[in-house]
Amino acid sequence: MLQKDILVIGAGPAGLAASIEAGKLGASVLLVDLNMQPGGQLFKQIHKFFGSSAHRSGTRGYDIGKQLLTEANEANVEIWMQSTVIGIFPGNKIAIEKGFDDGKKEIITLQANKIIIATGASENAIRFKGWTTPGVMGAGAAQTMINVNHVKPGQKIVMLGTGNVGLIVSYQLMQAGCDVVTLVDAAPKIGGYAVHAAKICRAGVPIRLQHTIIEAIKGTDGCVSGCVIAKVDEHFQPIPGTEETIDCDTITLAAGLKPTMDLVKLAGCELTYNGVFGGYIPLHNERMETSCKGVYVAGDTTGVEEANTALEEGKIAGISAAEDLGLISSETAGQYRKEIWERLHALRLGPFGEKRMVEKEAIMKQYKEKIGAPEPIL
Amino acid sequence: MVTELADDMIVCRCEEVTVGEIKNAIHEGARDIVGVKRRTRAGMGLCQGRTCEKLVQQLLVQELHIPPNEAGSSSARPPVRPVTFGELAKGEVI
Amino acid sequence: MALINTGYLEYEELKNIQTLPDEERYQKGPVAVIECVQEIPCNPCEAACHLGAITIGNPITNLPTLSGDKCIGCGMCVARCPGLAIIIVDKTYSDTTAAISFPFEYYPTPVVGEERNAMNRKGEIVCRGKIIKVVNPNSYDHTPVVTVEIPKEYSDDVRTIERI
Repeated sequence: MLQKDILVIGAGPAGLAASIEAGKLGASVLLVDLNMQPGGQLFKQIHKFFGSSAHRSGTRGYDIGKQLLTEANEANVEIWMQSTVIGIFPGNKIAIEKGFDDGKKEIITLQANKIIIATGASENAIRFKGWTTPGVMGAGAAQTMINVNHVKPGQKIVMLGTGNVGLIVSYQLMQAGCDVVTLVDAAPKIGGYAVHAAKICRAGVPIRLQHTIIEAIKGTDGCVSGCVIAKVDEHFQPIPGTEETIDCDTITLAAGLKPTMDLVKLAGCELTYNGVFGGYIPLHNERMETSCKGVYVAGDTTGVEEANTALEEGKIAGISAAEDLGLISSETAGQYRKEIWERLHALRLGPFGEKRMVEKEAIMKQYKEKIGAPEPIL
Repeated sequence: MVTELADDMIVCRCEEVTVGEIKNAIHEGARDIVGVKRRTRAGMGLCQGRTCEKLVQQLLVQELHIPPNEAGSSSARPPVRPVTFGELAKGEVI
Repeated sequence: MALINTGYLEYEELKNIQTLPDEERYQKGPVAVIECVQEIPCNPCEAACHLGAITIGNPITNLPTLSGDKCIGCGMCVARCPGLAIIIVDKTYSDTTAAISFPFEYYPTPVVGEERNAMNRKGEIVCRGKIIKVVNPNSYDHTPVVTVEIPKEYSDDVRTIERI
């Protein structure tokens, strides 16, 4: 059976950062991801990133992805793309469906001393009449179509949701040449950054707050030909008589994300429910270790945030795994982690970050009370 | 968001399970995601509940007036993504 | 705050949140107007200004403050702001017109000499404007900075041009 010091699952910002840190410290690292190319969401992020100028802010997401790939190669990280972890078994044994460029697939089993799970998050669906009609899709799916595949999802688009995803993807749809008809959100306030909302407004696109989509209208071709929106009351219930029909061919849903938990569950990690972070997440400590000894988590899997925090958490996971392999002294590892935590702390300030900071701290506290020192896997 | 939904609306698209069927399952005693899954197959299709789990959770919250964490979460079993028997047969036994 | 509710801010509301150049500063020539109103973790504008006219400091969620004395309206910060929230206003462009420089990331990129509708923060057409400059060096990383000449009385309103 193939042996690796560390298996990193998911080649997004968190997984790449973890692999780079561990690889630099001398661990044999295998990074697997089910997509065609590594980088996760970074390659669809054509906008310039927020954050600290000391850490790549003002750089476009895909350029950050390219930099990380170069660093991963320099750190001798082995990367398997189009490869899916299908099972985690006792003794850190892992089954991977490895994909090859010619389309062939093969099951490979390996034993990894440490496992870092960075499988990200998936989009939430929203129900309304006709939500399964072709033309209704996640905002992230639309973003992949325009920025990765260079295909417009449609011409006239209605966006549901005004969080950062809804605002940014609306802007990028306009950049791609689509006509964003309107943004709709049941909340009384815009969810995302004001600067993103301001871009949408000065482009002349109306944002309808306290409104929701109540129906996707199916056209003669079986696809979306419009939607019915309505004003909602304070309980988010549509107010009869306020319905309005909007002509569109695509409805994109930006209703938040939920952490992807299947591999975390398979590894046997203890979960906790957290509404702020999008649902169930693995309990983890400040070393990014789960309740299972030798299993670490990073990025959106530990609670939905953004690429900057994912990068920093990934670094911590990589350093902790290398420390537990004896490749770095606990003192040095502790020092690195301290510096990273200071940066994470700065990223979780302000009206948008504070809630996440408080919740992260609560999760670590819960870990300490419930888990103490982590148990070996299964 | 809680809105009164038509019973024929699909919730789990892989297994074509409707709002009505899920409500029925809840009224028959399903108390969490796994209970609904056992009775209706919602979440047992190709995507393994990645799309519908949250929607089923919302229905449980709405019908039973429980906080979302009490709706629980589905269990995961290998293979977590679809694989062919052919590939599995060639693989090493762990 | 209106911005949170509607997506845009009127100039008067903006004044309460951000330190904007005063009329005296406007009369001295081009100056940056930073329309950044929320404490988000972001500070590339601070590093973009080689003259040290923009200060954020610690923590990085602080709102940027602009020193009107140090700012020469060079526009280095305009393309660097990830939020596209900085513009350069030159109320001294001519006796009757002002020049507004703003980031514009849509195709087609306007060309010098072209006339387009000039828009306010709300996306309403305010007046016609003439494109007098388009700058897009590699260092701007695909964020062209466009300058439009408009009647002076609209210089606190015009923030972009119409997409075509």
